[in-house]
Amino acid sequence: MAKHLTRRQLLVGAGLSGLALHAPGLFAMHGNTQLPAPIRRAVPSTGERLPAIGMGTWITFNVGSDPYLIEQRTKVLKTFFDHGGSVVDCSPMYGSSADVLGRSLDALGARDQLFAATKIWTGDESATREQAESSRRKWGVERFDLLQVHNLLGWQGHLETLKAMKAAGEVRYLGITTSHGRRHGEFARIMETQPLDFVQLTYNVLDREAEARLLPLAQERGIAVIVNRPFQGGSLFRRFQSEPLPAWAGEAGVSTWAEFFLKFIVAHPAVTCAIPATSSVEHMQENMAAMYGELPDEQQRQRMVAYVRSL
Amino acid sequence: MSDPAWLSYSLQDFLMFGPEVFLRLFARINQDLWPWQLLVVPLSLIVPWMAGRPEIVWRRLALVIVAAAWILSGGGFLVNYFGEINWPAVWIGWAFTVQGGLLAALAVTRGCPRLSIGRTGWFAAFWLAAVVLLPWLTVVQSGEPTTLALFGLSPGVTVAASVLLVGGFGRATFWLLLPVPITWVLFSTATYWALQTQWLLLLPLATLASLVAGVWLSPRPVQSPGPQSAHHGPVRR
Repeated sequence: MAKHLTRRQLLVGAGLSGLALHAPGLFAMHGNTQLPAPIRRAVPSTGERLPAIGMGTWITFNVGSDPYLIEQRTKVLKTFFDHGGSVVDCSPMYGSSADVLGRSLDALGARDQLFAATKIWTGDESATREQAESSRRKWGVERFDLLQVHNLLGWQGHLETLKAMKAAGEVRYLGITTSHGRRHGEFARIMETQPLDFVQLTYNVLDREAEARLLPLAQERGIAVIVNRPFQGGSLFRRFQSEPLPAWAGEAGVSTWAEFFLKFIVAHPAVTCAIPATSSVEHMQENMAAMYGELPDEQQRQRMVAYVRSL
Repeated sequence: MSDPAWLSYSLQDFLMFGPEVFLRLFARINQDLWPWQLLVVPLSLIVPWMAGRPEIVWRRLALVIVAAAWILSGGGFLVNYFGEINWPAVWIGWAFTVQGGLLAALAVTRGCPRLSIGRTGWFAAFWLAAVVLLPWLTVVQSGEPTTLALFGLSPGVTVAASVLLVGGFGRATFWLLLPVPITWVLFSTATYWALQTQWLLLLPLATLASLVAGVWLSPRPVQSPGPQSAHHGPVRR
């Protein structure tokens, strides 16, 4: 009984206690003494297993130098790490988000738990390294785990440089991104012809265009998939939160709408992780609950689609 | 620009920040500049009195106050606060400082335009409504009294009040002073629309109303005198 807990164990324990209070059904099957195992997915190119729920920073971490809001976002990031999160995604396009992220990481001292993913977002195809270095300084990391070409902007030049950077060990993985279902044709052609580790795209219970071509192609080509806009920019909550969950939600491992939307996504076999963004600790707890417990099977996923369509 | 992908973007897609973060900017600038508000508020309130005086020195001072308000709200709020979370605000902030410089030059060379005789009361009423009532829109929107958006510190109220004076200048100066307020009206309308901060949409609306009121308040051109009265030569009786 006199065993000392490390800070990490204490934080994870405290976080999971909060999660258990929030979603007790998740933990019932594991008893009180055994921590549940988070859902992880392998990156096809290396086999590295990543937590299935990551964190986006679009809008939510762009708070400038406001000390109060930086402290609030630091609490959100702490909650994310406490619940077993790792993948954090950002972009130079997101205003002050990278600076805020760096300050939050400084405050938490949690870079060892981080899978750092950002993007290259410039039309100047010769500025890849310069922008990556600028982002690296803001994040305060030794190197990025993943660098992605944002929305295919100048992708030819950037991708060549990223390949060279990966070969030199300056970055571990490379990828490309799109959002809102844009430019899927060109996106697929790049997936077919380029040695990508990751793609990032929009996929959720209503925006399912990726199911037709991109997700099967990712499986076929062994490319990891990060899913952005899992809540359709929050509009899924605005549309459906006042509605009841289906009676069979528990069978699919779902106890909240956040779990409903996220588990629908991460249950797809091609998906590596989803990256919801939030500025609220409570919402982060809800999001991270989707990384635990049962996942819906394919039949249940189809029922999920039919259910939201019926509302 | 002919790329059809652009058509699929909405205003919300360009928004990089949330309403909470935007409204906090007003609280932060109020906190950082305290207690200068104790000087800024009385100065904003005496502008109508100064502008209505016949002596040019007062009308120069009135325009100096307005010029300083543009420079402060542009260089302060837009460049240093809003620009941190929304890079286009930096460019608009510099445009505000240029506009402030222009107004300062006009203050030195001409002073504040003369108000239409008999309408100084209306000018004072419009001006005071702008600098006293409009600052509360951010408070109503956020529910936080600390977010009061004062004339001289926040761009919306500064523009809404000061365009009252623009109509009083001559045609060339009027058109020279118009682009920045109109740009601000368009930019702020798009921002507030995307943020869904409905109360703040009243600010650009008030600015347009103020611009119209400013033209109405400006002195009407003097009626052209007849040829007999225009004759200034020696009079023979």
